Amino acid sequence: MASASTTTARRGSGVGESAGRPDGVPKVRGEFAFSSDLWMDEMLWGKTLRSPHASARIVSIDARPALALPGVHAVMTAADVTGRATYGVEVPDQPVFASDVVRFHGEPVAAVAADHPEVARAAARLVEVVYEPVEPVVDPELAVTAAPLHPSGNLFRHVRIRRGDPSATGDVVVEGSYEVGMQDQAFMGPESGLAVPAEDGGVDLYVATQWLHVDRDQIAASLGMPPERVRLYLAGVGGAFGGREDVSLQIHLCLLALRTGRPVKMVYSRDESFFGHVHRHPARMWYRHHANRAGDLVKVEARIVLDGGAYLSSSNAVVSNAAAFAAGPYRVPSAAIDGYAVRTNNPPCGAMRGFGAVQVCFGHEAQMDKLAAALGMDPVDLRLRNALEQFDTLVTGQVLTGATPVRECIRAAMAHPLPPDPTPRDPMMSRPGGAGLTADDGDVRRGTGLAVSFKNIGYSEGFDDYATARVRLEAGVAGEPLATVLVATAEVGQGFVTLAQQIAREELGVADVVLAPAATSDVGSAGSSSASRQTWMSGGAVQLACAGVRRQLLDRSAVRWGCALEALRWEDGAVTRLGSVDRLTLAELLDAGAVEAEHEYHHRPTKALDADGQGDAHLSFMYAAHRAVVDVDPGLGLVRVVQVTTGQDVGRALNPVQVTGQIEGGIAQGVGLAVMEEIVVDGGQVRNPSFTDYLIPTTLDMPDVAATLIEVPEPDAPYGAKGVGEPPAISSGPAVLAAIRDATGLDLRRAPVRPEDIALGVRPA
Amino acid sequence: MIPAPFEYRRAGSVDEAVALLAEDPDERKLLAGGHSLLPLMKLRLATPTVLVDVGRLAELSYVREDGDHVAIGALTRHCDLEAAPVAREHAPLLSHVAGQVGDPQVRHRGTIGGSVAHGDPASDLPAAVLALGGSFVVQGPQGHRELAAEDFFQGFLETAMAPDEMLTEIRVPKSGGGWAFQKFNRRAQDWAIVGVAASVNGSSRVALVNMGPTPLRARAVEAALAAGASAEEAASRAAEGLEPPADVQASAEYRAHLARVLVRRALEEATARRG
Repeated sequence: MASASTTTARRGSGVGESAGRPDGVPKVRGEFAFSSDLWMDEMLWGKTLRSPHASARIVSIDARPALALPGVHAVMTAADVTGRATYGVEVPDQPVFASDVVRFHGEPVAAVAADHPEVARAAARLVEVVYEPVEPVVDPELAVTAAPLHPSGNLFRHVRIRRGDPSATGDVVVEGSYEVGMQDQAFMGPESGLAVPAEDGGVDLYVATQWLHVDRDQIAASLGMPPERVRLYLAGVGGAFGGREDVSLQIHLCLLALRTGRPVKMVYSRDESFFGHVHRHPARMWYRHHANRAGDLVKVEARIVLDGGAYLSSSNAVVSNAAAFAAGPYRVPSAAIDGYAVRTNNPPCGAMRGFGAVQVCFGHEAQMDKLAAALGMDPVDLRLRNALEQFDTLVTGQVLTGATPVRECIRAAMAHPLPPDPTPRDPMMSRPGGAGLTADDGDVRRGTGLAVSFKNIGYSEGFDDYATARVRLEAGVAGEPLATVLVATAEVGQGFVTLAQQIAREELGVADVVLAPAATSDVGSAGSSSASRQTWMSGGAVQLACAGVRRQLLDRSAVRWGCALEALRWEDGAVTRLGSVDRLTLAELLDAGAVEAEHEYHHRPTKALDADGQGDAHLSFMYAAHRAVVDVDPGLGLVRVVQVTTGQDVGRALNPVQVTGQIEGGIAQGVGLAVMEEIVVDGGQVRNPSFTDYLIPTTLDMPDVAATLIEVPEPDAPYGAKGVGEPPAISSGPAVLAAIRDATGLDLRRAPVRPEDIALGVRPA
Repeated sequence: MIPAPFEYRRAGSVDEAVALLAEDPDERKLLAGGHSLLPLMKLRLATPTVLVDVGRLAELSYVREDGDHVAIGALTRHCDLEAAPVAREHAPLLSHVAGQVGDPQVRHRGTIGGSVAHGDPASDLPAAVLALGGSFVVQGPQGHRELAAEDFFQGFLETAMAPDEMLTEIRVPKSGGGWAFQKFNRRAQDWAIVGVAASVNGSSRVALVNMGPTPLRARAVEAALAAGASAEEAASRAAEGLEPPADVQASAEYRAHLARVLVRRALEEATARRG
């Protein structure tokens, strides 16, 4: 990668250090500007009108009563969309505004701009929409054969994987059906943005999102404008977890700004946020595992149905992942796996941390425990025996060429000391129910469970993914070199802003690194902040842009000294010459002016899956194991997750504190999905669009977390580092389920486990 | 959402508060800690045109012995009630429950008077007062009267107070060591899905949180205990005659189950504590 050798160039916090976040202190002090803080004088306020029905024909829309309200400047509906009527991250199948039908509870029908947010709210209610409700299709199994809900039909995608010997069977066979409910990303910062009409007839949009350029392209298409006239700027993002990959308010805001000629701001309320973004696909899974008596897996059969809701979003990629990872990180000689993503009138589902691998992990890990019991084998030993190794082949036929430390992850998770047994002298807070409930010691049962998972890094199936970075080096204040990094990478809380600084310091030997705010008009796409890809992709782009800067400085040195490049060495802020004491500092080299380099980083090509689901479809993989310890009060059905330990395959920890942060946050979401998080949808209606009724763990609900970072460098990855964001959210939930089963002896097959599932033993209808 | 438009008045005394209410009783509400009323106003389930703020009436913040009773001023904050030595000694059930309400922020703002006057079946303190056989002193334009707790809660968010009356004092008989409070929630610091307050000093009183439209007594349990039943037998009747609510958090069947389990545990704990 480097054009000349680099000795260790670490000034201050370089790669591998737990460097502090540049935005950390402002965020803690309340000084950080989030997208909901955007402000421009004379701006108007936008508000969206949404369908109260999960399925209905729109008979008529009359905006006149709303327009008549003083302070209202515009009301937009489908008729006002100047460009393409639909949008979508994979295929544009979702209407900007519903025109003839609504297909989910909360689908946008109109948007209003007014002088004051309360006027906008009142005006939205005045828009007269006449609906003819239709019985919604809410069962994904029935939707496959039901009348089409959309011109593109009700089957988004069927992924079929066939490998090995179809007639193979095992001496021991276990079968099971499992279900995972609809989880929400529940990010703290509500959807918000500010659109400002520009002098060239285009629009500038400040918005919290995960991928500036892909939003821009969809907005431009729906405005009927070339992309250059739509400029996106990243506003402060309060978390994403996949929930900002799809367009929410972007097109609505730009339409309102262009129509009114004024800046327009929109902030979703919390309940509106639940309607305004996609959720995790609920899943129904059936599995049959075959093994020989020694405990080797012979075959895995699986049928997975993902309820994609009303529109496609990223369902095609999610179901592809679900099928590819359905058998888990184990050697499986034969496989017959069918994954279906289906359209219904339920809320649209799409990307959420783990992206299909989460749901199937609940399935394959429950199966492995069942198989261990049927074999009379220890569940940890069964997994160790079958764990994937480097150069094994996946069910998709891909050979694992990268680091594959599955056994190390399992052993590391298991090696952490178990928490001490509960005693009568424990503080109340540590018992199930914590503050408020004194669970009787005699009632509490402790259980332990292990789960292992894997998932791909990055985009798949031949997608030409890339990230662009530009680095500029110049003499700063008092001659100290200053590096400016320009990347459109969306910082959503994961800490890429920190890593970008670390990489620039490392590669250039410079202490002062600033990140320039990057609009879509300033620099090329960095791709999505998702799929655990940014460290690899944007990190790689910054690294190579820095290499380009170094190359230019070496060129300057070669010219200054009249020597060949091969004679030069780069050393921590200076260029030296072999066999000489000649030395040029960066400050001296930058006398001649700034140096700038750009790099568009592409990873190696991947391939599509063929008709049997075979293909070299993924860039790389991440592995993790989680062990959970829970205390259960069986009479009440109360669960306290006492401890979660993990061994996670990280390649190389470029910032250990940030990796730990990702691990703890991901475990929080895994625990949430295991015991409390679920969007309750009833007849297509969302019943709990609030944090009162959609329960997410608080700090008091969190277990003790102990993590071991397994560092086996990944050959192709910049710095050998793998992505770390998703694995903590994948096998943590299944580990908690396994522990609850262990504590209660109940065959719990559904996540989240509700207290009554334990207390009453059977799931109420 | 934000509340519907309202005017704000601050009362400098109980008499002034009562007078302000009397001007337009159906449209005016008292504001104490605000932690029950303000959320309702933000949902526009309550739309008073005038808020009468009594939160600074220091003379209504007290916990004192009054013969064989403990008298608590209506504006006593939960954190103060929890810490008051008189309450800890003579009304330990109440003191403990005050420490279980919500989270620290709520406990530093919320008042027992506000909680009781709100009449929410999901609140913890009304059940505790019911279990102690307490009473409430209310003051109106015609003077003051005392209402027994069991006559006080009449419907969902409805109490026996007239719209022009203000709750000024909560009175509970001094009680001994036989008490217990069991509160079940799925996530730390949430509202109780079901709660049980039990007092077993001589006779036994058991009150339930979130098992009906009001805070209420588990009458079938009390009758069974009076007839000599064991804790387990009595607890099996916890849901008898009751219609627990069903919602996103729990089915009616599960609430009934919880009530049976929690009543048994509360009775056992209370008996053990009495010694």
